Formats: sequence, C-alpha cells, structure tokens
Amino acid sequence: MARIAGVNIPTNKRVIIALRYIYGIGPANAVIICNQAGIPAEKRVNELSDDEILRIREIIDRDYQVEGDLRREIAMNIKRLMDMASYRGLRHRKGLPVRGQRTHTNARTRKGKARPIAGKKIATRK
Amino acid sequence: MGRSVWKGPFVDGYLLKKADKVRAGGRNEIIKIWSRRSTIVPQFIGLTFGVYNGHKFLPVLVNENMVGHKFGEFAPTRSFHGHTAVGGGDKTAKKG
Repeated sequence: MARIAGVNIPTNKRVIIALRYIYGIGPANAVIICNQAGIPAEKRVNELSDDEILRIREIIDRDYQVEGDLRREIAMNIKRLMDMASYRGLRHRKGLPVRGQRTHTNARTRKGKARPIAGKKIATRK
Repeated sequence: MGRSVWKGPFVDGYLLKKADKVRAGGRNEIIKIWSRRSTIVPQFIGLTFGVYNGHKFLPVLVNENMVGHKFGEFAPTRSFHGHTAVGGGDKTAKKG
C-alpha cells in the first residue's frame, strides 16, 4: 500500500487512475505527474518501487496543492466573498446558485431536497 | 471567459477623476456613482462610494479585497424578504 499526500492510500489500480483519488489531482494532472516521474502508463501502484513512490511524493509536494490545503484555500476564497458582502458571497450564504442560474425551478444541488410549501394548493387533475 | 489582459480593467474614466477630487479634498465623502459596471481599482481603496442599485445609493467602503470586482457586486438590486408564512402564494401581498 502506497501512502501519498497524507492519508490517501490508492489501491492496486494503475498509477494514473490511483493518483486521482487524491483531492486536487484529476485526469490531466495525474498524467502530467506520471510523465514527470517517468512512470509508464500501464504500471500499477503495487508494482511501484520505493524510489518511484518517493519521486511522485516529491513532485506533488513541490508543485501541487492537495487535500487539506486545497480545501482550506477554497473555503477561504468563499469566506472572502461572504465577508465583503459581494453578490456572490450573499448567494453562498443563502445556499443558492452563485453563477446566475435560474431558481424558479431546478437548482436542487444548491438548495437541497425540495421542501413542501405550507398552504400551497395541490394541483388537481381534470 | 475573462477579459483580455491587454485591455486593462474597465473603469469609467470619470470615476478616477471623482476619486482624485475627493482624495485631494481630504474629507471622506460618499461618491455617488451609477457605474455599477466599473471594476474597482487600487486607487479606490479607503474611499466610500454610493453605488446606485436602481432605487438608492448604497454606501460601499472599498477595501483591498474588493479590488478586481465590480461595483455592482456590492449593491444588490433585488430585495427578497422571504415568502409569506401561511396561506402563501399571494403575489400582491407586500411585506414591509
């Protein structure tokens, strides 16, 4: 089992896939990291030598912001928007879509599960 | 898509003039502006602007966090006070 960037323990998948289990590393970055570390695409994590793991770890530590640090930065960015009372901050505070999407319908990802409206008449079918 | 860098930030020119005048005047008075579309540039830090929201001028004290944003972002144009509690759906009912 390989431990890269803190708690992440990817499995016996291919390295390109396994790296994506780290928060902050997606398909594109995973490929770049593998190229930099000189790891062939078809290699699996359990076939990696200690040296190769070390190289990956180094590259990630040096060039990428992952996991807790990245989460913290994102949270700080949102907090900044909220603190200066910008429109986007207000939308974050209210839990509504931030980028101008409609809220008349949809927007359920932000608003959460639909809540019934008190006193609303149920539409009757003819 | 963002704005091209070579153009620089968009600011209505008269805002810079107004800001300079207030700076020179010393007193920190509210600068009334209608230009919600203008970017906040570093020259505006510390000044108070009255940003028009279609109804009145909302005071906005510019700090360094706001640089790069537009004035309009800090003066909401809609006021939503929540829906009426029970028996709602009456659109004509206005809440104070």
